[in-house]
Amino acid sequence: MTTTKGRESRRAQHVRGAQGARVTVRSTLIAYAFMLPFLILLVLYHTWPVFFGTYLAFTKYNIISPPEWVGLENFRTLAADSQFWAGLRNSLKYILVVPVIQFLSIAVAMLVNRPLRGIGFFRTAYYVPVVTSFAVVGLIWTWMYQQDGPVSAVLRFLGLEARGSLLNNPATALYAVMFVTLWKGIGYYMVLYLAGLQAISRELEEAAVIDGATRWQVFTNVTLPGLRPTILVCSLLSTISAIKVFEEIYVMTQGGPAGSTYTALFFTYSRAFVDFQYGLAAAAGLIIAVISILFGFINFKLTRGGKADA
Amino acid sequence: MLKEAVSRQPSAVSPTLSEIKARRRRKDLLWNTLAYAVLVVIALILLYPFYWTLITSLEPSGSIYEAKLLPRGLSLRNYIEVFRGTTVPFWRLIVNSLIICTLGVTLTVTLASLAAYPLAKMRFPGRDLIFYAILVLMVLPNEAGLIVNYITTIKLGLLQQTNPVLDAARQYAAVVLPGVASIVGLFLLRQAYLGVPTELIEAARIDGARELTIWRRIMLPLALPTIVAFSILEFVAYWNSFLWARIMLPDKNLMPLSAGLLELSGTFSTNSRAVMAGAVITVLPILVIFAFGQRYFMKGIEGAVKG
Repeated sequence: MTTTKGRESRRAQHVRGAQGARVTVRSTLIAYAFMLPFLILLVLYHTWPVFFGTYLAFTKYNIISPPEWVGLENFRTLAADSQFWAGLRNSLKYILVVPVIQFLSIAVAMLVNRPLRGIGFFRTAYYVPVVTSFAVVGLIWTWMYQQDGPVSAVLRFLGLEARGSLLNNPATALYAVMFVTLWKGIGYYMVLYLAGLQAISRELEEAAVIDGATRWQVFTNVTLPGLRPTILVCSLLSTISAIKVFEEIYVMTQGGPAGSTYTALFFTYSRAFVDFQYGLAAAAGLIIAVISILFGFINFKLTRGGKADA
Repeated sequence: MLKEAVSRQPSAVSPTLSEIKARRRRKDLLWNTLAYAVLVVIALILLYPFYWTLITSLEPSGSIYEAKLLPRGLSLRNYIEVFRGTTVPFWRLIVNSLIICTLGVTLTVTLASLAAYPLAKMRFPGRDLIFYAILVLMVLPNEAGLIVNYITTIKLGLLQQTNPVLDAARQYAAVVLPGVASIVGLFLLRQAYLGVPTELIEAARIDGARELTIWRRIMLPLALPTIVAFSILEFVAYWNSFLWARIMLPDKNLMPLSAGLLELSGTFSTNSRAVMAGAVITVLPILVIFAFGQRYFMKGIEGAVKG
C-alpha cells in the first residue's frame, strides 16, 4: 500500500489537519463503509427522484410501457388546463397563511419566553397539535366544522351565521382549511422563535431598558433585528409548505367543494394516482418546484438574507 | 429606606427607588395576569378540539357535533365498536404501526449515526463534496418524490403479492425505506459528534480500537442525548405518516394506524363517534411519548434549526 515515507508525510499532514484519522486507502474505505447504507438510500429515494422526475416531466409515462419523450407537450397541456391554473391560484392564495402564522408565532414565542411559573406546561401544550398526525387533525377539524358543531357555536357567539359546514361552502372552504394549517403550525414556529429569542443576549435588552427604551422600542430595535435570521428560516419554511399544501386538503376536502380547495399539489396527486398520467403529474410537480424556489429567493431578498443587522 | 435621603430635591420630578420598585411590581403583576389570561385562551384554542373529540368519543348517544364542556354520559361502547365492527381489524393497524415505527426508527437512527461518524471525525477524499451534496439535496425541492418513489417501489418489486409472510415484510419495507435516509438526522448527529473530543478517539485508535468499536463505545454513548431526541422525532414522524402508506399499499390490512383511521372514517360514515374513538387511540401513544420525551424533543428541534 503505502511506503513508510508516505506514511510519515501523511502523518505530518494529519497533525496539521484539525481532524482525527490519517488519510489512507484503508481509512477511506472504512469511512465510505460507514456511509454506504445511508448513501444508497439517499441516492435511491432523494437524488434519483429529482433527476428522474425532471426527465418524466418531458415524457408520457404510465409505468407499464417505457417513458416516451414528448418534449414540452405536458407543459402545453398544463397551460391549457383551467384546473391546473385554478389549483395554482389556490396554492398562491394559501401563502396568505404565512404572514399570519409568523406574526402569531412570534407573539406566542415572546409570551412563553416570559419567566412565568408553569410556563413549561403552556409551551408543551402548544406543541400538541404539531405532534399530531394530519390524518387525526384533519378528521377532528372536519367534525369541528360540522353544522351546529363547536365552530358554528363560536361563529354564532360572534354574531356570524354559518349555514352548514364551512368546509362545504365554496366561499369559505379554503379559509377553513387554512385555519387548520395555522392552528397546527403555530406551535412549531413558536419553538423555532423561542430558540431564536433565547439566542438574543439578555444584556442587550437590559441595556436598552436602562437607556430608557420603552418595551416597543426594545422590541423593534433589539428583539426584532436579533430574530431576523429565524424569521428568514421560518417564513421560508412556511411559504414553501403553503405552496405545497396537500395533506390537510387530502383529509378534509379532497379539493372540493366545487374545486375551491383544489391546490397545485392536489392536481399533481390526482393526475398521478387517479389518472396514472405520471409524465403530466411530474411536469406539474416541476412547475411547483420552480415556483417554490422563486418564492424562496424572493423571501431571501425581502429579509435581506437574514442578516442580523437591520 | 433611602427615601428621605434621596428624594430631597428632585422628588417632584423623578420617583424614588422604592417607588420605582413598587410601580414595577404592580406593573409586573398586571402584565403577568394579562399574560396568563392570554396563555389560557391560546391553550383553549389549541387543545379544546382534542378534548372535545375525547369527550364526544366517550358519549354513548346524543347529538354528536355539539359544542360542550362535559360529556353527556360515559361509555366505552364506541371504543369496543372500533375494535369489533370494522372491515379492517383495528388491532392489526396498531400492530402495523408498531412494526413500522420500530423498523423505521431503528434503521433511520442507525444509518444516520453510522454515516455521520466519518463526516464528523474522519479525513477522507470527497468528504466535503458529500457533505455539501447532502446540503444541496435538503434545499432542492422534490415534488416528484411521491411519484418517482412510487415507481421505484413498484420496480423494486416491493408491492408483489406472492405469499402472505413475504408480502407483509416487503410492504412494511416499502412504507419505511423512503424515509430512512434522514438528512436532518445526519446533521443532528454530525453536530453531536463534533462535540466529542478528538483526543479521545485518537487515544482509542492508538490503543488499536477498530473504527466500529470507537463508534459504538465512544461516539454513541457521548451522543446519546441527541440520539434519544432524534429517535423520538422519528417515532412521531413514522407514527403520524399516512399519505405515503395510503397511496402505495395495496393491502389495507398492512396500513399503519394513521392511514387506517381514514379508512375507518369511510367504513364508519354512520358512526362518527367510533371514528373519534379511533382518533383518540391514534393520538394517545404520541402524547405519552411526547410527555415523557418533551425535553429531548425540544432539544432535537432546536438542534435541527441551529445545526
